Amino acid sequence: MFWNLWNRLGSIGAPLELSSPLGAARWFVLAGVPVGIIALYFLKLKRRPVTVSSTLLWRKSLEDLHVNSLFQRLRRNLLLFLQLLAVALAMLALAGLRSKGTGGQGQRYVLMIDNSASMAATDVPPSRLENAKEKAKKVVTSMDSNDLAMVISFGETARVVSNYTGDKRALLQRIDSIPPTQSTTSLREALQVAAGLANPSKQIGEGVVATSALITPKLLIYTDGGFADVEGFSLGNLEPEVVVIGPPPRPYSPPAAEASGPTDAKAKVHNPSDNVAIVALQARINDEQPDVYQLFGRVHNFRSERVETEAQLFRHAADKPGSEGQLIDAIALQLPPQSEQSFKFDIPDSGLAELEVRLTVKDALEVDNRAFAIVGNARKAQVLAITAGNRYLLDAFNTPTASNKADVRVATPEEAKGEELSREIRGGRFDLVIYDGVRPETPPEANALYFGSLPPGPAYANPKAVEQPVILDWSISHPLMQYIRDLSLVFVAKANLVEPPAGATSLIESNQGPLAFTVPREGFTDAVVLFPLLDGTTPNTTWFRFISFPLFLLNSMQALGNVREGSGEEVRSPGRPVILRAETLGKDLLVTSASGHATERLARTPQGSFVYNQAATTGLYHARWEPSGLLPFAVNLFDFRESDLAPRGLVPDGVPESQAEAYKIKIGYNPVVGTQQTEDKQQDWWKWFACAALVVLLVEWYIYNKRVYI
Amino acid sequence: MAASESASASVPSPSATASRVPASQRSAPSDGAASAPLLDPDFLHKLEQLELVSRKIFVGRMKGERKSRRRGSSVEFAEHRNYTVGDDLRHIDWNVYGRLDKLFLKLFLEEEDLHVYTLLDTSLSMNFGTPTKLHYSKQVAAALAFIGLVNHDRVIMDTFATKLDQGIPSVRGRSQMWRVIDYLAHLAASGESDLKAAAREFAIRHAGKGVVVVISDFMDKHGYEDALRYLLARKMDIYVLHVLSQEEVQPELVGDLRLVDVEDEEVAEITMSAPLLKRYKDNLNTFVGGLKEWCTRRGITYIFTTNQYPFEKLILNYLRERGLVK
Repeated sequence: MFWNLWNRLGSIGAPLELSSPLGAARWFVLAGVPVGIIALYFLKLKRRPVTVSSTLLWRKSLEDLHVNSLFQRLRRNLLLFLQLLAVALAMLALAGLRSKGTGGQGQRYVLMIDNSASMAATDVPPSRLENAKEKAKKVVTSMDSNDLAMVISFGETARVVSNYTGDKRALLQRIDSIPPTQSTTSLREALQVAAGLANPSKQIGEGVVATSALITPKLLIYTDGGFADVEGFSLGNLEPEVVVIGPPPRPYSPPAAEASGPTDAKAKVHNPSDNVAIVALQARINDEQPDVYQLFGRVHNFRSERVETEAQLFRHAADKPGSEGQLIDAIALQLPPQSEQSFKFDIPDSGLAELEVRLTVKDALEVDNRAFAIVGNARKAQVLAITAGNRYLLDAFNTPTASNKADVRVATPEEAKGEELSREIRGGRFDLVIYDGVRPETPPEANALYFGSLPPGPAYANPKAVEQPVILDWSISHPLMQYIRDLSLVFVAKANLVEPPAGATSLIESNQGPLAFTVPREGFTDAVVLFPLLDGTTPNTTWFRFISFPLFLLNSMQALGNVREGSGEEVRSPGRPVILRAETLGKDLLVTSASGHATERLARTPQGSFVYNQAATTGLYHARWEPSGLLPFAVNLFDFRESDLAPRGLVPDGVPESQAEAYKIKIGYNPVVGTQQTEDKQQDWWKWFACAALVVLLVEWYIYNKRVYI
Repeated sequence: MAASESASASVPSPSATASRVPASQRSAPSDGAASAPLLDPDFLHKLEQLELVSRKIFVGRMKGERKSRRRGSSVEFAEHRNYTVGDDLRHIDWNVYGRLDKLFLKLFLEEEDLHVYTLLDTSLSMNFGTPTKLHYSKQVAAALAFIGLVNHDRVIMDTFATKLDQGIPSVRGRSQMWRVIDYLAHLAASGESDLKAAAREFAIRHAGKGVVVVISDFMDKHGYEDALRYLLARKMDIYVLHVLSQEEVQPELVGDLRLVDVEDEEVAEITMSAPLLKRYKDNLNTFVGGLKEWCTRRGITYIFTTNQYPFEKLILNYLRERGLVK
């Protein structure tokens, strides 16, 4: 039978692989078992010698029992042989020997583990992420040999930790290797990755092909629910199951009398959690005292009790990344339960300053107790205006606000064709180039604003000259059109209309077609105004008379000129790429991480900017370039969902059926109820039985040798 | 025939013998038994009451207390026969001559002595049991010799292991008892048993007829048949006393054992189990039964005993029943 089995194994012809869950140390112990049995066998051979008067009758008895001596010897060895065979089989069973191949129809698992910032919370020790890993590993351990599992970790982005494989050891190792991040949560991207990989007819890595559409993969999402509902997403054949990590929700208490109405039911979903977080921090110049920066922040108390804490302001030195900083100010805060409070620091303008606000309170999530800000880091837009001397245009650049925001260089069309300036235009020296009635031969390596001229290219080949178009409508939401309200009063004499190319956004609509639009061009933006400002030397339009014209120019410089306020910073979240615009003509710059340990050299992108992808943690980062350029930037969490540690997705006990919906996480089109515990299905009991068999075998040997008669 | 009748009397099976012996009678350790006197005075006195009997009348060299078939010079008249020339004139019955005028010779029954041979196995296998089979056999041999001597029989005692040893050539008369006791007391077990060679030698050496008592455990791997045939050829009156020890009848071995044959050091590795024990006992019964049947068919009296059966009883009761002792 054994040989038969062996032949069958051999006839498969497939390579054999081991998938033992036992480690090397346990195998070492296991390998001692057959050695022990052989040793016992030798002990057994050492029979007690007894002298008898004659062996005549004994020998006869033995001969009667075993027809001949050969068989007798065989039988004696048979005991050893059988026992070694049993041990070998048990060890083979434990080794999980099997042939590689598609095999039977096993269950497929997609294990999605949330490693966003909130999963670093320590309210379920050691941390939520470790808990999630443990639960995922339980699923892996209970897998059958035919089962396959895929592991995806997700925060801001989703990462495939392991493709479909049945190798439990590799899966366990890879689950262990998932690092905590400080990023926000985006379940949608993770679901897209999972759906793409898990749905059939895809060749995926590691030699395993998910071929069969008949198997419905089981999608297990280990998360605390700190993300928005993923609506309008088709999961295909995935069956989602959300395993909520975190403390169980409090039992439902009916809303109090004053809190009535259906909208309150949603508000009640926010359960308290052990966290106090800085949810916003922004600097701006004090309107009354221009030499003082104001640092505004907001602190949210998620606890159900009153919290007294202190917001401490630290100043960091640019040349000491990762240092503790110097305490320069502090404000005591008293936060009522589940409420928010603002704070404000006044900082005298002393140039570039790197600031940190720290809360002294101890809570479950560390990362949101710190917030960073940079002040005094203003950057002006570099603008080139190519005009034949349009006085109205030049006057608009001379407003104090405009000169604060931009360095405007004016050049004539002749100058612009010159060697030096055209090289600067090609080399990305400018953020914005304004063409006033001039059509360049090649588009600039910068954003461009065209007045009465068209960008180069075949799309703008056939303009249609119209007269006196009437402005009917304009986009008020576009950044270029902010605060512009009075265009209905503007008169335009002549215009050269073209059909906006694909992807264009119309800014101003007339009765004869669009008068202005923006269109993206290889990472840059072209804004095109289709009517000239001057018709010869006389004005072509009355726009100059209205406030909207300098506003439009200002908006253009701000939106297209990459202006940095100096007081404020756009919010940069951990895990997201950071786009840096440094005033350098060099091809690369160096970025030092928040801890100061890692430095990365970045190359300029074709768009002239630098993209830093390693901002995984919050803190202050520094970009440096030759000879002495320095651009610090702050990365902050500032995510209410991440800071709100109350797990979402669990329906508390006693919730009325009508309100239970509010507690559920919506994935796709169906609300999914979370569970705290994955069901323990199909435990691999055979391992225990095999081990028990080993023990029984040894006990049998003991009894046999000790001759314990029962 | 008397021999077959007596032999067919109930012989205790090995197991029956064992069970019949009360525990209290299972005697003392072997060294104590070996140092005990072979015969105690009370027992000797009882023995005197006995007389060795022979179912056949044998011719002896000396005139003993037994009647012989041979016509001889005893006082007991047997018959008359015609006178032939050369007959001794002193035996002519003159009274008959006076009446019938014919010469007749008076024939008398010859009285002759009985030869009692004892063939004692002293191989190493006899040195087993408590008391040892040898000690037990010595006691039986001594008792038989004593009875023989008291009855003026001629007692010849030979022992054998690998070959025959001439023990006591031929003694007669009660006064020789010390010689027998002394000889037996100094007898030690040694060597491998070869019953066939010993019986052949015995048959050559002792031409005379008589009673031969073979005392042995018959644990001879060469078999007993040839040996007994040599004795049968001498037309002797054969008694087989089969002595086994209690350990052989009812082994109390446990565990994994390497059994070493004390004589030839042959090894048998066994693992004691109930089936093996049963098989052993079956074999023992077959062996004992086979020997008994073989003897009975050939007119040999077979007597089975174990070392636990009191030898006085064996002598006084059991051998009497079997016809060895009057």
